[in-house]
Amino acid sequence: MSIELKDVSYTYSKGTPFERQALNNVSVSIDKGEIVAIIGHTGSGKSTFVQHLNALLKPDKGMIIIDEVDATGKTSDAKAARHRVGMVFQYPEHQLFAETVEEDIAFGPRNKGFSEDEVAVQVKEAMRFVGLDYDTYAKRSPFQLSGGQMRRVAVAGVVALNPDYLVLDEPSAGLDPASRLRVFREILELHKTRKIAIVIVTHSMDEAAEYANRLLVINKGQLLYDGKPEEIFKEHSAELRQVGLDMPQVYNLGEKLKANGLNLKGDIMNTKALVKAICQAKGWKNAK
Amino acid sequence: MIKIENLKHYYKDIDGNEVKALDGVSLSIAEGEFVAVIGANGSGKSTLARHLNGLLVPTEGKVTVNDMDTMDEDRTWDIRQSVGMVFQNPDNQIVAAIVEEDVAFGMENIGVPSAEIRPRVDKALAAVGMSDYAKHAPHLLSGGQKQRVAIAGILGLEPKCIVLDEPTAMLDPQGRQEIVATVKSLNKEKNITIVYITHYMEEALQADRVVVMGAGKIQFMGTPKEVFCRVEELEKLGLEAPIAAKVASELRKCGAKLPKDIITEEELAKALCQ
Amino acid sequence: MLNNITLGQYFPGDSFIHKLDPRTKLLCTLLFIVAIFFANSPISYGILCGFTLLVILVSRLPFVMVLKSVKPIWIILLLTLCIHIFTTPGETILYQYSFLTVTKEGLELGVKMCLRLILLLLFSSILTFTTSPIVLTDGIESLLRPFKCIGVPAHELAMMMTIALRFIPTLLEETDRIMKAQTARGADFESGNIIQRVKNMLPLLIPLFIGAFRRADDLAIAMEARCYRGGEGRTRMHQLSYGSNDYVAFVVIFVLIFGLAFLRWGTKLI
Repeated sequence: MSIELKDVSYTYSKGTPFERQALNNVSVSIDKGEIVAIIGHTGSGKSTFVQHLNALLKPDKGMIIIDEVDATGKTSDAKAARHRVGMVFQYPEHQLFAETVEEDIAFGPRNKGFSEDEVAVQVKEAMRFVGLDYDTYAKRSPFQLSGGQMRRVAVAGVVALNPDYLVLDEPSAGLDPASRLRVFREILELHKTRKIAIVIVTHSMDEAAEYANRLLVINKGQLLYDGKPEEIFKEHSAELRQVGLDMPQVYNLGEKLKANGLNLKGDIMNTKALVKAICQAKGWKNAK
Repeated sequence: MIKIENLKHYYKDIDGNEVKALDGVSLSIAEGEFVAVIGANGSGKSTLARHLNGLLVPTEGKVTVNDMDTMDEDRTWDIRQSVGMVFQNPDNQIVAAIVEEDVAFGMENIGVPSAEIRPRVDKALAAVGMSDYAKHAPHLLSGGQKQRVAIAGILGLEPKCIVLDEPTAMLDPQGRQEIVATVKSLNKEKNITIVYITHYMEEALQADRVVVMGAGKIQFMGTPKEVFCRVEELEKLGLEAPIAAKVASELRKCGAKLPKDIITEEELAKALCQ
Repeated sequence: MLNNITLGQYFPGDSFIHKLDPRTKLLCTLLFIVAIFFANSPISYGILCGFTLLVILVSRLPFVMVLKSVKPIWIILLLTLCIHIFTTPGETILYQYSFLTVTKEGLELGVKMCLRLILLLLFSSILTFTTSPIVLTDGIESLLRPFKCIGVPAHELAMMMTIALRFIPTLLEETDRIMKAQTARGADFESGNIIQRVKNMLPLLIPLFIGAFRRADDLAIAMEARCYRGGEGRTRMHQLSYGSNDYVAFVVIFVLIFGLAFLRWGTKLI
């Protein structure tokens, strides 16, 4: 079970003066169960890349294969395959349209051809995942909610499709720190219970380091690195800095402490790990 | 420069309940100061910002800008000229379809003579490093560039103070750096008073003073050092402390004896590696 | 999908026509339309066609591109031609089939009418091809200003056009994004009958409208914060001014008008 991109190239506005190649020969395979973070500058091609994961954009060259089906085709198999990939766009709250929260979340499952019973189950499940109480919010208009709640309704609308792969384009953009944490907690929870693949596009190396078990670095339309975050940071930090991508703050801090003579062991990918390593080095007893 | 005395702002929401967006805020901002206001969504920080140039007026209390009361309708335009405002969404505040036309917009509104507008536009664009883009269409610029155009549009009015309401919330890291650097240089080189609203603590670190908002009130304020070492209080308000402060706070829980005011990586390294 | 749609049809350049003041171009276009209706003989139509050709040459626009601007109205042209051919009574009958009669007069009138429409369209296309929409807006505002006293909201109209020009690309981008987002949720914008299609468009149109209102709200506040209070007491950075080229253009167009008027009425006087 995987999404495979094979030698995918994509050019915007082909044949006009605005022609611009956004992806150049990208090959990658994303398996069910992974948490993949995609990092790159604005304009690096990462948004174009994720829009290929469910064949929203059709490649000029190359193939998109979802669960062994060519997803660019017109067959019902291809359509079904595309529907297994849920896609949460940037600022997804801007796509809400229905009169009630429930109706909006049910839009996707209904299009997908679920029975009404199944739709109801999926809507309730999805609302539970994003932490919106069904009895309180189901009948409300989505436009009367706060910005953060609207975002959660929009995410629920995609979760309710019961996708095998969930792609999120900057799910935490514009949120305050507490809401950012919450969004990621919900995504991780979803990953844990449904064993689906999660693909997160982010600008934040810290988020990538903390949550992902695989990192794709995209630069100038090409896949620059593909691997475990800790390995990429360790081996390619100089090159990453060169293309203007910074290391995670916590990683930088760890490096700084090491440079100052502190003997830190292990991979330092989040605050907890750093605190643990410092306690070990200093012989303090770690409270947790 | 700006005095806020016991400011309250109430409004009714859709269900008819009274919402206390601001509930007794007092703050005074000196000329040339760089003040950061941080707070979670819904803490009242944007409502506060909109009181500073009379876009909103107090339900109770008083806001004065250079001794002009924002309730005084005769002074509204003088106040808006001396307190410029940059908003969160870079797309929704640019009026004209060409960068330089947009920068000129404010000046045209207050009736600056035509011959004077041109040099002032050029100066404003130079101050934000956007001179090369004078003839560009705004929708083709990056988010950071759009925000810099918005800042230039305000600079043309030669304001004493600029209020930025979450100017970086919709930008990528590079755009955020551009804005922080621009704002800092305006503060240092042109002595423009800055009120900078954000929920990114890295940005608030650049300020002279940090005001922490929560539930329509000022929770506490002080220098970045004084504010950001209060890790747990910040987290309770839905905010975040700098990583070094967070780590130091965790280490203290493990029994480490560290100075109370660690907020930078250097300070942490020094404390740990002596 | 929807990006890179060029606004208006502006084709940048620095020809004599490009450099004219927008007001000159607007007025000359109006005068040319008047001239079109003075024409009644093959000679005068010949002159008009020649003049249009000359203007296209001077503007250095790609000839084919200008001609293409007639394409969207070909069906109207065809209709005009048919109506005139079949309904104009006349003496010289060229062809007759049951109740349909084609007369020489009808054919002549039909061709004339079509020619008028084509010339009108070509000339206004040259205007939009050689003038950026922004400059055109300035020109319209300036020309309408004298009519303010009879209630023509010159400034407001110009402001509306400026904002529309600014936001059309943004809204197109947004349309593209929402379309993709709903497609990813299984929406189908392309199949079904017309009623179904309209219904299927709602998930696109509602967010688009709400978004547009949100933007309008934001923009209104931002404009107010930048001291906007209507056209009263406003100055402009760019002031339009007529140059020697503009006088040349006016002389040429008036010579054309008087020439055509002479051909129509003057020849009878002699």
